[in-house]
Amino acid sequence: MSKPSAFQRVEGEEIMAMGNSSCQGCGHATLARIAFKVLGKNTVYTSVPGCIWIALQGSIPLYWRGTVFEGGGALISGITNGLEAVGKDMIVVGFYGDGGTADIGLQAMSAAAERNENVLWICADNEAYMNTGGQRSGLTPKYASTTTTPVASESRGKKSNKKNVPFIMAAHNIPYVATASIAYPNDLIGKLEYAKGIKGFKYIHVQSPCPTGWGFDPARTIKVARLMVESGIWPLYEVTEGNNFKITYKPRELKPVREALSLQGRFRHLDDSEYEYIQGQAVDRWRQLLDIDGKKLPI
Amino acid sequence: MPHTELMVGNKAVAYGAKLARVQVISAYPITPQTTIVQYLAEFIANGEMKAKFIEVESELSAMVAVQGASFAGARVFTATSGPGLFFMHHPMMEGADLPVVMSVVHRSNKSMQPDHTDLMAQRDNGWIQLYCEDNQEALDTALMSYKIAEDPRLSTPTVFGIDGYILSYTAEPVEIPDQSAVDEWLPPLKAPWAPDIHLPVQEWKKRQGRMYGNQKAWIDHDAKFRSSLGVIKEVHDDFKKTFGRGYGNGLIDEHNCDGAEAVIIAMGTIASTARVVIDDLRAEGKKVGLVKLKCYRPFPIDDIKALAKKYHAIGVIDRNVSLGGGGNVLNETRSAIYDMAERPKVLGFHTGMAGDEVTTGMIKRIAEKTLRAVTEPVSTAVEWVGGA
Repeated sequence: MSKPSAFQRVEGEEIMAMGNSSCQGCGHATLARIAFKVLGKNTVYTSVPGCIWIALQGSIPLYWRGTVFEGGGALISGITNGLEAVGKDMIVVGFYGDGGTADIGLQAMSAAAERNENVLWICADNEAYMNTGGQRSGLTPKYASTTTTPVASESRGKKSNKKNVPFIMAAHNIPYVATASIAYPNDLIGKLEYAKGIKGFKYIHVQSPCPTGWGFDPARTIKVARLMVESGIWPLYEVTEGNNFKITYKPRELKPVREALSLQGRFRHLDDSEYEYIQGQAVDRWRQLLDIDGKKLPI
Repeated sequence: MPHTELMVGNKAVAYGAKLARVQVISAYPITPQTTIVQYLAEFIANGEMKAKFIEVESELSAMVAVQGASFAGARVFTATSGPGLFFMHHPMMEGADLPVVMSVVHRSNKSMQPDHTDLMAQRDNGWIQLYCEDNQEALDTALMSYKIAEDPRLSTPTVFGIDGYILSYTAEPVEIPDQSAVDEWLPPLKAPWAPDIHLPVQEWKKRQGRMYGNQKAWIDHDAKFRSSLGVIKEVHDDFKKTFGRGYGNGLIDEHNCDGAEAVIIAMGTIASTARVVIDDLRAEGKKVGLVKLKCYRPFPIDDIKALAKKYHAIGVIDRNVSLGGGGNVLNETRSAIYDMAERPKVLGFHTGMAGDEVTTGMIKRIAEKTLRAVTEPVSTAVEWVGGA
């Protein structure tokens, strides 16, 4: 018999139904399947507009409510307080995309975190507004070609860097902040289980590659996700009890970013200097994280 | 025993929410609403009231948060004024299936003083809109709003308005009903749409009131929303029977209209001033009465038609303007009676905008012009009174 997969090792019932409305090879489906199996049935989940709403709609037979794009933080706050007021103990989770988290949703999320509402926020980050056809977001990385930052004679893709939302959330001093990737299910499962077991605001930021928007073969979603981690572009770490920082996965050696980026159509135009910029950034970031690994972040 | 206290309008509203045993409150400060939530925060802080207060960072979040709590099955309350209300527009549109109750302390877009343009800008949201003329009516309407919004046939959000400053910060004697009487009249919210782990999800889905889809969804929503007029009347009659106070038929209130040939329509505190004016005019033998419009949404078309059958001229006072479109109440009054074979004359008056004072003299001129229109042609059918 072959070894059970990480997913099979999760105790509990499979909640996600067969078939869903996401694109072929969408990372969100993998994320949702894992997340709901860990969270279990006593869960109310919520959506704001975005791919993750569409990906889950119809395939997660649990209690659900959606709201306006900018309202995710307020909705989960209202639900968790309402449930408590009527004496029900349920897990309240928001599955929100990069817009609903980092851009239009940032204000209400920050306020909910500041109040330390008892909720779990999962950012399903596909690094652009994919649901409306791949426009840039605050979580789109520099130089990525999107439909609003197209590469042409006068443009090299997105002009600015990706917003560091996990650190913004860590600055709220909440009980739990983590990054995760769909290519590292053990890591993701452990983080979900930890978050499930504690009270207060929990934030898990999951990178979820998008074959449609990033421009790669849908069969390679996991491979792309893994290379983004192994090259140091998307490091996996967590911040517990407000400020204990810990890297949760350390590649023995960082792979060149070119290995990860060359698979993605959105970076097809990169020249050597641009590769160098991204490479330098990945290495610097990794060194900085190693410096603070196992230490306390400033309060 | 019910007892009477001298209190400002904002405190009367807060008492309404307290007596209704609201479970979750969320609001963001804005003048002239702010003290409502300060009173509520105080009630909670000193243990008089058991409720959760979500201290949000914006009006938009206040609205979404109370919708979330209402979805979870809690009785909820929020409050705001003019600009804050505009910021709530998006979620108000989206969450029109939940029995959220809100109080709006009217604030103009051109001053901090009241006009009704703020709430009327939300007229297409599927929220029941009730307007109050004094502080007692504010407290009573708060209680009625819960019973209306939570009626199982409706589950429809309800907002009631009081004029900023004129009521919000002005003290009047208000009778506070006994908590036990309110508890008996207004039992805890039953929320069949709320998540319940013991309920199969398929069954739960059937209980969802969200109306989303195609044109049929709009048709169904409109029909359900219009049916709330009957529920409002029922709840009002029931309230009157239980607490001994009433406001016309719950939708409109005809004051000193017996034998009148003309009526003026007014809302909010203007109606209060108009009562005095109309009583004086009737004493002088002038046959003009007052109709207070309490319910603006849904628009009580049948009640307006009934007025049109009885009176030969109607003068509509609009403390609002749809820029480029005219007075909202005037337009809807005219529209309501357009299909009738014999129609009265309908005149329009904008006044009290941005909180400008509406004097008895101004209302007298409006009433007299309306009465004159019964027998003679009037040169201008719509005019602005004051503000020059």
